[in-house]
Amino acid sequence: MCDNLIIAVSGKGGTGKTVVSSILVKLLSETGKDLLVIDADPDSNIPESLGIEVDKSVGDVREDLKKDVNQGNISSGMNKWDILDYKIMESIVETQNFDLLMMGRSEGSGCYCAVNNMLRRIIENISSNYDYIVIDTEAGLEHLSRRTTQSVDIMLVVSDSSRRGLHTASRVGKLSKELKISFEQIYFILNRVKMGNEEELSKKAKETGLDIIGLIHDDEVISEFDLEGRSLMELPNDSEPVKVVKDIIDKLKI
Amino acid sequence: MFSDIPVDVSPMHEGERIRAANMYVELAGPKSVGTELVQVDESVVDGQYEVIGPELSEMIKGEVYPFGIKIDIKGEKLEKEIEGVIERRTHDLCNYVQGFMHLNQRDQIWCRVSTDALDEGFKLIDLAKSLGILFKEEFPIIEEITVTILTEEENVKQFVVDAQSIYAARDERARKLSDEDVDVFYGCLMCQSFAPTHMCVVTPDRTALCGAINWFDCRASAKMDPDGSIFEIEKGEVLDDVKGEYINVNDIIAQKTQGETDRVYLHSVFEYPHTSCGCFEAVAFYIPELDGIGIVDRDFGCETPLGIPFSSMAGQCSGGKQVEGFTGLSLEYMRSPKFLQADGAYERIVWMPKEIKSSLEGFIPKEIYDKIPTDENATSINDIKNYLKDKNHPILERIAILGSDEEKSSDDEDIESFGEEAMDMGQEFVPVASAPEMGMPLSGETKIIFKNAKIYAEKVIIKKSKK
Repeated sequence: MCDNLIIAVSGKGGTGKTVVSSILVKLLSETGKDLLVIDADPDSNIPESLGIEVDKSVGDVREDLKKDVNQGNISSGMNKWDILDYKIMESIVETQNFDLLMMGRSEGSGCYCAVNNMLRRIIENISSNYDYIVIDTEAGLEHLSRRTTQSVDIMLVVSDSSRRGLHTASRVGKLSKELKISFEQIYFILNRVKMGNEEELSKKAKETGLDIIGLIHDDEVISEFDLEGRSLMELPNDSEPVKVVKDIIDKLKI
Repeated sequence: MFSDIPVDVSPMHEGERIRAANMYVELAGPKSVGTELVQVDESVVDGQYEVIGPELSEMIKGEVYPFGIKIDIKGEKLEKEIEGVIERRTHDLCNYVQGFMHLNQRDQIWCRVSTDALDEGFKLIDLAKSLGILFKEEFPIIEEITVTILTEEENVKQFVVDAQSIYAARDERARKLSDEDVDVFYGCLMCQSFAPTHMCVVTPDRTALCGAINWFDCRASAKMDPDGSIFEIEKGEVLDDVKGEYINVNDIIAQKTQGETDRVYLHSVFEYPHTSCGCFEAVAFYIPELDGIGIVDRDFGCETPLGIPFSSMAGQCSGGKQVEGFTGLSLEYMRSPKFLQADGAYERIVWMPKEIKSSLEGFIPKEIYDKIPTDENATSINDIKNYLKDKNHPILERIAILGSDEEKSSDDEDIESFGEEAMDMGQEFVPVASAPEMGMPLSGETKIIFKNAKIYAEKVIIKKSKK
């Protein structure tokens, strides 16, 4: 129905998943198209690395609604779909270059079938209004399969050289097959690679069964930005990570 | 029809969102005030469209303005009662207008106009005209219509105050909407992914167990997606209006639960109680010793008077199993005038956690409110009994009648019956089962029936049989 492009970036926390997502956001937001970033990893710090603050997450909205319903605060003539729709819209952080929706904390006890069902549809509808959607997702894919959207076009799996990172990457590959989530394309990005270590690591990475589409070296600029808490949106265009991601965008014809 | 409207007007623009980056102005919403109101008015002159306050051209890009949509209608068949239903369509119809975003309803609306629409020459008066045409098309019973758009702050504020009192009156009516007033109920299968033999029946007097959706929500959902997991059930023939049994509900439950359940009483925990997925906010459970019903909710972490916590009880009666004496329910259902009406409603309730009770103040009949003990007053059956006696809870009458019933029935079949004093319940005993009536599998000609049985054991051993 909609001709938007959904790109998910996944991988173990701390492997540079958020760096890749942030650079993608930086580059795609320069196209002037409508861009939505979905932060689907409760442990991620993508708002920080994009230099924005988030007030409320979808999780908060969900809990608030449950509370209001329990306490009988919702008038009988009001429809909960519309209330949720409004609250979710309200939770979106809107900037000139991109909008961001944070999924936030996971569920408490109780039943979430109905509310998650409503949320999925609402988020699908919101998403259909954007040209690009970048999802920063946790490695488990739970968010992907349950809450946001099933129709991810491109999946980028990020890992550093650590065994755990690589293991997670191969699990993402397998899980996506098991869950029957059909990605049009799924690729592997190696991050924080030490100089001279490229070949050995690429070999290991191939064992995950995923195609490598980019390789980013350990980057001092990123560490500096990280230390100073600066937004990655300000990364210079001639820094290696930006160049690599730009190259990926070109290869994928995004 | 919309030839003089500079933007496209069609259902294909439903769901359109306007990003802050693409927006000319925002109207109403979280940073301002606004509302919409449809009223039947005999003085309506057809085709009057007006904007009171600044038009888009007089607004500043990127700013937020107060916003009111006042729609007055006239028609031979139009009644006051239908205003809410017609007003409900404002959301969809506004969204037909390309470049105009409309969220939510009533005094919670949030609108935006896109810069693209402004560039096309769109004005608020065009919105008024479009709504006039669309409403008449949608509801042929509307013979005449006027639409007034308000953007001047003082005006809008007054309009909001006036509208709120009308909403309150409508809500009061909606709260009174009962199972008798409607022709359709709704079935919900959203939980079938983990409870494949459970179907929720949602009626005006009974919200879904999870508490998340009521009859109005279902109506909205079924309209949006008739083939979705929420669907209409023609109410059809009533078998028992007190217990809440309906032929069509029984039929559809049987069909949707693979025959697992084929009869259900919507307003009782006995015989054929409504099944539960596992999602319910609370459980109503029968307490045989008191012939009363206790309620426990998900947030209550301690043991119930039956000696087990919510979690174990929930395990026993969830997953689409019909277990007599137990039913899952939503907290909202406890505010329903039909709340377990077949069982005696609040006169039958003998225990509930304090938090629930205080949230139900005003819904539990005044004369009984103080007579229902909470976890603060009593946690064991004996303490509850003493409390009930102390406060003269109406259940005492039932217990008295029940006692005389038992004596009467000790005729031919009953060889002997034991009074409850004969049983000494030590704390070290574990409850095994309880039921209002229970047969014992026996060989020979003797038949033993336990009335209001509660079985305790010193030790329960669960073993896998070796074959």
